[in-house]
Amino acid sequence: MHDSNQSKWDWEITAKSSWWGASPRELWAYRFLLGGLVRSDFLRGYQQTVLGPLWLLLQPIMTTITYLLVFGKMVGISTGTVPPALFYLAGIVLWNLFNDAFTGTSSIFRDNAHLFSKVYFPRLVIPFAQLSSHLISFAIQSLFLLVLLIYYRLFTSWDSHTLFWLLLIPLVVGLVCAQSLALGLLFSVLTGKYRDVKFIVGLGVRLLMFLTPVIYPVQYVTEKWRWLVQLNPLTPLFELFRWAILGQGIVTISQLLYSTSFTLILLLASLLTFNKQGDKIIDVV
Amino acid sequence: MSTVAIQVESLSKRYRLGTIGTGSLRQDVQRWWTTAIRKKEDPFFLADSATQQKQALWALQDISFEVQQGEVLGIVGNNGAGKSTLLKIISRIVRPTQGTVRGRGRINSLLEVGTGFQPDLTGRDNILLSGYILGMSKAEVRAKFDEIVAFAGIERFLDTPVKRYSSGMYVRLAFAVAAHLEPDILILDEVLAVGDSEFQKKCLGKIREVSHHTGRTILFVSHSMQAITNLCDKGMWLHQGKIKKIGTASAVVNEYLVSAQRIQLKQKWDDATLAPGNERIRLKLVELVPHLLTPDSPVDVRTPLTFKIEFWNLLPGETSLSMGLHLYTYSGECVFDRPTPDSLCNQGLIKAECTIPGDFLNDGAYYFSFVITRDTSVDLFRYEECLSFELEDFRGDYNYYGKWLGVVRPNFPFKLIQAGVESFAS
Repeated sequence: MHDSNQSKWDWEITAKSSWWGASPRELWAYRFLLGGLVRSDFLRGYQQTVLGPLWLLLQPIMTTITYLLVFGKMVGISTGTVPPALFYLAGIVLWNLFNDAFTGTSSIFRDNAHLFSKVYFPRLVIPFAQLSSHLISFAIQSLFLLVLLIYYRLFTSWDSHTLFWLLLIPLVVGLVCAQSLALGLLFSVLTGKYRDVKFIVGLGVRLLMFLTPVIYPVQYVTEKWRWLVQLNPLTPLFELFRWAILGQGIVTISQLLYSTSFTLILLLASLLTFNKQGDKIIDVV
Repeated sequence: MSTVAIQVESLSKRYRLGTIGTGSLRQDVQRWWTTAIRKKEDPFFLADSATQQKQALWALQDISFEVQQGEVLGIVGNNGAGKSTLLKIISRIVRPTQGTVRGRGRINSLLEVGTGFQPDLTGRDNILLSGYILGMSKAEVRAKFDEIVAFAGIERFLDTPVKRYSSGMYVRLAFAVAAHLEPDILILDEVLAVGDSEFQKKCLGKIREVSHHTGRTILFVSHSMQAITNLCDKGMWLHQGKIKKIGTASAVVNEYLVSAQRIQLKQKWDDATLAPGNERIRLKLVELVPHLLTPDSPVDVRTPLTFKIEFWNLLPGETSLSMGLHLYTYSGECVFDRPTPDSLCNQGLIKAECTIPGDFLNDGAYYFSFVITRDTSVDLFRYEECLSFELEDFRGDYNYYGKWLGVVRPNFPFKLIQAGVESFAS
């Protein structure tokens, strides 16, 4: 099978961990694991529940109703010309994607310590699987958003620009995913090493929501403080998302470029860190 | 011409005791700042090498060996000898601190039975998932699916969540998945510690089949010396992170057993005033002599043992003495109480001998106590736990690997005989 030349080995394990981690070919070999994990995630999530996958829709609907009451009626934040229900739902659906993917990824070492300490597979499979299942949830929730959008356009006086701009959504979603993955991977290494970071993640993501136009449009923010919101690389993505669906949002090309380059640089840095540090964390978790 | 499947070269793994890293983010940042940016010495690195030695635990130290293709290597050693660490490094779960492991072919490791099982999923889903975790493709799992199910014997429960399985079913399923993979190198850590004896036997059979018929390389850690000698060609004894011996499986196992035995086979007192005893009885010698089959073999269930005692009788005149010899297991059960008949003894040295035949006691740890009495009723001297010994297991031709029940294991003749060939009819 193999030749007896002693210098030819299939693999080698040394003390040095690599920045580049598993090769793409190796990751590809584990694609079935990714599929299996996504499947088991769904099966587990809704087993022994009465409503099953309906929870996927109930959660954003209930949140939208709460926001409608609290921020729309009680606090009175204007949503511009857009119907508040659509406005909040769009924000919530996209925020959920970011929030779930980020917090999920950030704790993979702690959540999977048992698995990681017993069997080898490219660790990146786990965050990718998590991201995939959150994307599926997002797709289902977006379909509901689309139904609501069509309802509003057909049966109310509100109307917006052509549906053609919905084609921008994959770009937005791709960038949001990349950003949540990048932050998640970086924080997974940190939470693996330092337990306190877990609390920072929980707190930080809640605070970040207020710096992201989820419950308010950027145009509602006074000029003086708008820079603070726009410093957040998520802001242009949320505004673009709303603009594509609802025709309202403030976003410029330069902001988008800022967000994109931020995301890509962070993603590269996070992947390298994850590969380099991932092996060592097993000793520590 | 044989090929090397795994080559381990001066492999070391160090764990730091106590806090890992410096323990906090603030100190790690501070350390990074001083070492990486200001290029100074690590403020948390203890210059005092003695302190540092105390804080470092070398789980493995400078290990080098080779495993040939198709060879079954059994690894023995006490708890904490580094066996699992070694397997974890070869399985790519943890990184070594120093050294290199090189190899040929795909590795699959079963460091724990049931890794990656999701309790909420059905048996069917879990078979697929654990196959994927071990790096199989969908087609590979599907091809083996029926075989796995049959081996585990869970046909009826395929669509039941595994959390409702009995622990035996769970373990069977978990092992079945791993055993039906087709890696070039299989790594097994204590997989036989679980499951009932029937299943253990099945597992061993499977492992043997895998190694002998398909020529796969296997690294096997077990505390069952029986399994190691039966399955492995080569043995390696790890002791405190170093290789103590490497050689044929039976030689390594023997040497390991001899060293590991908790034995006090002899107590001798040259100075009578320091010897245990009282104004009536004073001990001189207690000894247990094993009659070994070969000089380097361990004391096992086949070994006859002779108990010897010598003591001073300090009582004046002619006394009617007797002695009771008690054998206890370390769990506290009395195996036997063997009295001597009364003998008339004068002042002076008295001795006695008692031989326990081989093939009588079960494997395990035992100790002797004795009592010396006058006129069968008055205790003169009692000595608890004067000698202790362990008997290793030996099973020869028996294909049974579970714990052999009972305190004794006498070798009474007992066998099945074909009494007739006609079929059963009511």
